[in-house]
Amino acid sequence: MVKDRNSFIFRFLSTLFVILAINFFLPRMMPGDPFSTTSADEVGEEIIVMTEEQRLYYMNYYGLDRPLYEQFLVYMKNLITGDLGRSIYYKMPVSDVIMLHLPWTMLIVVGAIVISTISGVVLGTLSAMNRKKGSDRIMMTGMIAFAEIPSFLLGLILLLIFSAYLRLFPLAGAITPFANYNGPAEQAWDILCHAFLPVVTLSLSQLTGVYLLTRNTLITVTTKDYIRTARAKGLGEKTVWIRHALRNALLPVVTRTGFMIGIMMGGVVLVESVFSYPGIGMTLRSAVVGRDYPLIQGILLIIAVSILICNLLVDKIYGKLDPRVVI
Amino acid sequence: MSLLKINYLKCHYLTDINTVRAVDGISFEIEEGEILGIVGESGSGKTTVALGIMGLLPENTAISGEILYRDEVISSLPESGMDRFRWKDIAIVFQNGLDVMNPVMKVGVQVTEPMIKHLDISPENARSKCADLFRTVGLDPKWMDSYPHQLSGGMRQRVLLAMALSCDPKLLILDEVTSALDAFTRKEIRDLLVDLQKKNGYTMLMISHDITFVSSVASRIAVMYSGRVVETGPVRDILVSPRHPYTRGLVHSTPDIFVYKDLWGIPGDVPAGDEFKGCSFSPRCTQKIDICNKASPVLMPVGGGREIACHRGGIAGLLEAKNLSFRYLLPNGEYLKAVDNVNLEVMEGEVLAVVGQTGSGKSTLAHILANVIRPECGEVLFMDGNVSGGNYGNRVNGVQIVFQDPFSSTSNRFTVLDAIKEPLYINKIGSNGDRLQMVKNALELVRLPTTDNFLGKYCGELSGGQRQRVALARAMVMEPKLLIADEITSALDVSTSANVLRLLKGLQNRRGFSMIYISHDLSLTLKIADRIAVMNSGKIVEMGNSHDVMLSPSDEYTKRLVGSRIGLCCHNH
Repeated sequence: MVKDRNSFIFRFLSTLFVILAINFFLPRMMPGDPFSTTSADEVGEEIIVMTEEQRLYYMNYYGLDRPLYEQFLVYMKNLITGDLGRSIYYKMPVSDVIMLHLPWTMLIVVGAIVISTISGVVLGTLSAMNRKKGSDRIMMTGMIAFAEIPSFLLGLILLLIFSAYLRLFPLAGAITPFANYNGPAEQAWDILCHAFLPVVTLSLSQLTGVYLLTRNTLITVTTKDYIRTARAKGLGEKTVWIRHALRNALLPVVTRTGFMIGIMMGGVVLVESVFSYPGIGMTLRSAVVGRDYPLIQGILLIIAVSILICNLLVDKIYGKLDPRVVI
Repeated sequence: MSLLKINYLKCHYLTDINTVRAVDGISFEIEEGEILGIVGESGSGKTTVALGIMGLLPENTAISGEILYRDEVISSLPESGMDRFRWKDIAIVFQNGLDVMNPVMKVGVQVTEPMIKHLDISPENARSKCADLFRTVGLDPKWMDSYPHQLSGGMRQRVLLAMALSCDPKLLILDEVTSALDAFTRKEIRDLLVDLQKKNGYTMLMISHDITFVSSVASRIAVMYSGRVVETGPVRDILVSPRHPYTRGLVHSTPDIFVYKDLWGIPGDVPAGDEFKGCSFSPRCTQKIDICNKASPVLMPVGGGREIACHRGGIAGLLEAKNLSFRYLLPNGEYLKAVDNVNLEVMEGEVLAVVGQTGSGKSTLAHILANVIRPECGEVLFMDGNVSGGNYGNRVNGVQIVFQDPFSSTSNRFTVLDAIKEPLYINKIGSNGDRLQMVKNALELVRLPTTDNFLGKYCGELSGGQRQRVALARAMVMEPKLLIADEITSALDVSTSANVLRLLKGLQNRRGFSMIYISHDLSLTLKIADRIAVMNSGKIVEMGNSHDVMLSPSDEYTKRLVGSRIGLCCHNH
């Protein structure tokens, strides 16, 4: 048991190290550097073009002119003390920048996971129960066709319909700027309205996966002998489906939900851009454009660690749900 | 009123490409308190019957016929209607498998679940009742809190049994409950079932391919083959004198019944496809006649509470000897009674061994049966014709004999080809080209080479084992219905004789002819014989199933014969 735990920690740390190395070297392999940006990302943004002298000064100031391995060692050393470095663009500690944007992303990612998992499981169950009937066929065809739409396109369509034409939801941002709230309820409502479309977009992009997994696992599970046993006991269809079939079919869904975090972290960059949602995805995008190496590293690190932690949690939860698995 | 009645039940599995007739029109009844066993090999439709009664057949099953429980038709009820009967009236003990219980639910919960649903009792009461049930089936109640994968196969089977008993069902169906268990657990489960039946009077339907297990618990047996019942009757009668060729094959392939005999399964397979209209056993049957390929037989009562489905009315007789006697005139003018008033019968596809010491009249009897010598009185009937007038030795599908000494029964000056071809030549069977092919076929049967080189060899050049096989091939070329093998291995060494014997039994099993095997070697005959006749000074002193004769000989002479086997130094006889 102790040996298992040690090997687990070793695996975790080595994975983390590889991720850190990739995070560090990958941005630096891109052409350009933080001080030679020539194109502005947004219309109206001021383009600052530095002279070669200024550029060299800043490169020296941030230590970017030193050999890569030296920079990497410094980065690792600082990381151990908990220092993620300073953002070149924001001129403040990377950790502060992340803490500023992470909650928004957490809000929509967690929201999307909850919504897509619950609705996917419910729809998948309904579909499996009506297997080979019209409703199942229609639902399945619809879902698969739907899954082919990329999430950013879906986001744009939703934005056009619900915000631009119907004006039901705000166009951009996470809160109404300069708003004065009459109490926390109103504030919460404002936040929900802003988060609604991004959450829906993200959920819809994951819904088909959960739906198909639930449906197909359930169909496989219902052919198992223990379902026949449950049916033989005369427990009634509802008990057979929910207690015996669904309970077993949910096991792979749990695993998938864990992995979904990783997929969503990728998707969130696009979705946040579409909705100008001030989450970590948007921040990452601007950091990449601005070659803000410390910020890129910091955000990628946070994403990687959260995926690792999620996988760990899934393993633990799975062990609780399936008594056959010993962790 | 019977508890369960099944009327002409048919269950056909419909797949995209074909229809599988799993159950093809079966009818039976189970009286209250009775234990009915259904036996048959895998794929005979036994489990489909069980699932059909429980209403658990998959959706792609076409069901016709009726299942009545206490005179109420339950075969066409919807799921919810069936739930009224499930577990409270009819419960099933499934075959133990890894997936038979919900893998993520504690076994105790799975046992209490139906009690809470059907008996309307509180979870606490159900739990204490579950603990009682666990004790009844011989499990420590502490196992209630474990998951199925944590239990051994035997324990799981016990949990399944406890689960089935939980709502005190009227009818208990047991589906292959012991097939995956070791001998000890199997016996414990058997004792438990017998015990439960005695105490609570459960009515049981026991389904298994394990005829030994079923016969030790059940009172009546139905033998299923390819979706139909081919024979039913009281357990003891079926075991001792099976009437259907399939039942006999099943009983004979059971090591627990035939302890000494080598295992030989029933050769061949169930006919595939649904075009075949005849008796589904006919491709494997040794006694089929024309009608067997055209119509399938129906189950008919044959007396003694037995029913049988066979166009020939069960296993048919092949040869019958009545009051045979023969005396030799000794030089001193006295007569020696070699065969003294012998009566015997050989059935289709059966191996009868005639055992006795040298000089007991075995060979004389064999020669009379083969019409080599004529009896002084009495007659031998073969397929209802008289052997002495019928020339059955000269015909295809007749009687052939293989003699003891291959060195004198095959001529040194004949080539292998000539020796085997001779009977065809004498009896004018086939053209010359056909004969060569027939000889080669016969040689293949006895596992001898069919090269021109070998065919041209003189019999004098062959070894004893090879030569005996040539003699066997000479008999086989006439495709006999009855082969008389007179001490054919006694001139051979142990290893060669084992080879010849296995070859002979293999041929018999595959080709389905009957055989009279004459030998003085009891141990050897036990390996192949279905029945044994013991001969002493011209008389048959005892005749019966080979295991009965061996295990409980009744005649003094037989006892001496059994006792006279020389054991190895490490055995105490």
